[in-house]
Amino acid sequence: MSAVAAPGASAARLPGAGARPSRPRRWPARVVVLAVLVAITAWSWVAVDVDLAVIAHNFSNAQNTLVQLFQPDYSFFGETLQPLLETIQMAVIGTAVGCAVSLPLSFLASRATNPNGPLLGFVRTVMNVVRSIPDLLYASIFVTVVGTGALSGVLSLFLFNLGIMVKLISEALDGVDRGGQEAALASGATWLQADRAAMLPEVAPQYVSQTIYVLELNIRASTVIGLVGAGGLGMLIDRVRTFYQYHYLSLVILEILVLVLLLELLSSAVRKRLVR
Amino acid sequence: MSAAPTLVAPGRATTQDRPRKPANVTRKALWLVVVAVVVAAFWGVDISWGALWDMPGKLWHYLGLMFLPPAWSKLPDALSATMLSVAMAWFGTALGVVISFPLSLLATRGLAPVAVRWPLRAVFALLRAVPEVVIAVLMLSVTGLTAFTGALAIAIGSVGTLGKWGYEAFEAVDGGATEAATAAGASRAQVMRWGVWPNAAPEVLAFWLYRFEISVRASAILGLIGAGGIGKMLIDNIQFRVWDVVGILMIVVVVVTMLIDQISGTVRHRIITGRWEVPVVTALRRRSARAARLEASPSILEDDSRSGTVG
Repeated sequence: MSAVAAPGASAARLPGAGARPSRPRRWPARVVVLAVLVAITAWSWVAVDVDLAVIAHNFSNAQNTLVQLFQPDYSFFGETLQPLLETIQMAVIGTAVGCAVSLPLSFLASRATNPNGPLLGFVRTVMNVVRSIPDLLYASIFVTVVGTGALSGVLSLFLFNLGIMVKLISEALDGVDRGGQEAALASGATWLQADRAAMLPEVAPQYVSQTIYVLELNIRASTVIGLVGAGGLGMLIDRVRTFYQYHYLSLVILEILVLVLLLELLSSAVRKRLVR
Repeated sequence: MSAAPTLVAPGRATTQDRPRKPANVTRKALWLVVVAVVVAAFWGVDISWGALWDMPGKLWHYLGLMFLPPAWSKLPDALSATMLSVAMAWFGTALGVVISFPLSLLATRGLAPVAVRWPLRAVFALLRAVPEVVIAVLMLSVTGLTAFTGALAIAIGSVGTLGKWGYEAFEAVDGGATEAATAAGASRAQVMRWGVWPNAAPEVLAFWLYRFEISVRASAILGLIGAGGIGKMLIDNIQFRVWDVVGILMIVVVVVTMLIDQISGTVRHRIITGRWEVPVVTALRRRSARAARLEASPSILEDDSRSGTVG
């Protein structure tokens, strides 16, 4: 230490302390950002009308409910089997049809495989719109259009999948190295042949992996879209909720939990193998 | 055949010389299982597929009712309901951030003992497994459903994802800085503050914003089961079949969701890369650059528009 300080013996301070560049002044920007964040939060606080007293009051009234919720009635299990099966069926059908239809659409929605600018823009815009509508909203509209039951559920899951799959796969296509496609085109292949031979194999593993991911999302979604009447466990939830049968409700929720966790395990195992 | 120098049809000749594809039995078996499951689902489900026949006609009919024209006069109402939904999403996410941040630090390897870590991770996994709507339904039965309880449901739901993303980001931090801090005698809290946080901060901040985007969608959905906001207005109008109002509400939902995604995406990009990049501006700039290039040498027009990789 002293050896280092020796050359500049006149300075009592650390060597080179004066030469150190001063830190850039970043605090004004930070203060502004923080102020904006606090302002938005304060606004949302007022808008959602935070009132802890009401919660506390309701909570003390809800003792009985809570007790029921923590004591699932397993004898109800038999009645939940049919809706449970329907939930799985809806998810499987929605995934199968949605993912099948999304494959050609993703090729239309990727710049790499669709040289037609206006068509590309059109497909992308439509898919963006399709994606930004939540599944439960689709379900509530289809329920009024085709009636309650599994069909409206399948239809809304289908659209929900289409949005996600087309986005994921077309982005994968955008990232593919296009040497193979170019070679195919140069040797006289049509665009369709080139995409089939050179592009499809590149995204196939991702396609399978995303399909499994979407199935997982679908199981999750199909348990709740029934709340607006689109079949499956959600309809059961709605029914037991209106009759205040909370010990049944907790059983249904427990089943959803088990189903989702099981599928998550399965899907992460399969996807890990696929990506390797 | 090897003597024929023609370029016309070499495909048929070479197929015999080509080595055969190895038979992949497991893959075939897997395909069989998948197909069987799908067929079983189609066969077993209680749907009369005949209803699909008049589906397109019906859909056109209802789309016409919704959008030809939508009830523009309801736009102010729709916007104020949307603001409530967005407020719900923001408040819920903010609360989720406040709760999940310390918890995710406590779930990070190297910063907390196993006895704290694993129970926390289990809680995160559990919260992620339950759909937000189900959390809301549970809260509805305990506390009654208002915009505030909707926000609480979002907060609880976001703790699961934010907690997981948080500890993953903290664990991905390069060990050098933490090691240096530890070597210099820092306490655990100081290691977190000076070794971990500066490295993980951009990613974590971006996650928070991304979660807000998800929450915006979730809050619209929560409205559908009664938590107020745009979803509540939607479900009321759907149930009373006021289709032109449903039309304007759907337009508002789509536009607002996209807008928030764009803004949030731009800010996230700024946080991660340190540069502003507004999507529309970038697209325009890219287009004008391409136009300039084409003007310079119009002969490459075809190749350039098809693929940028032509050497």
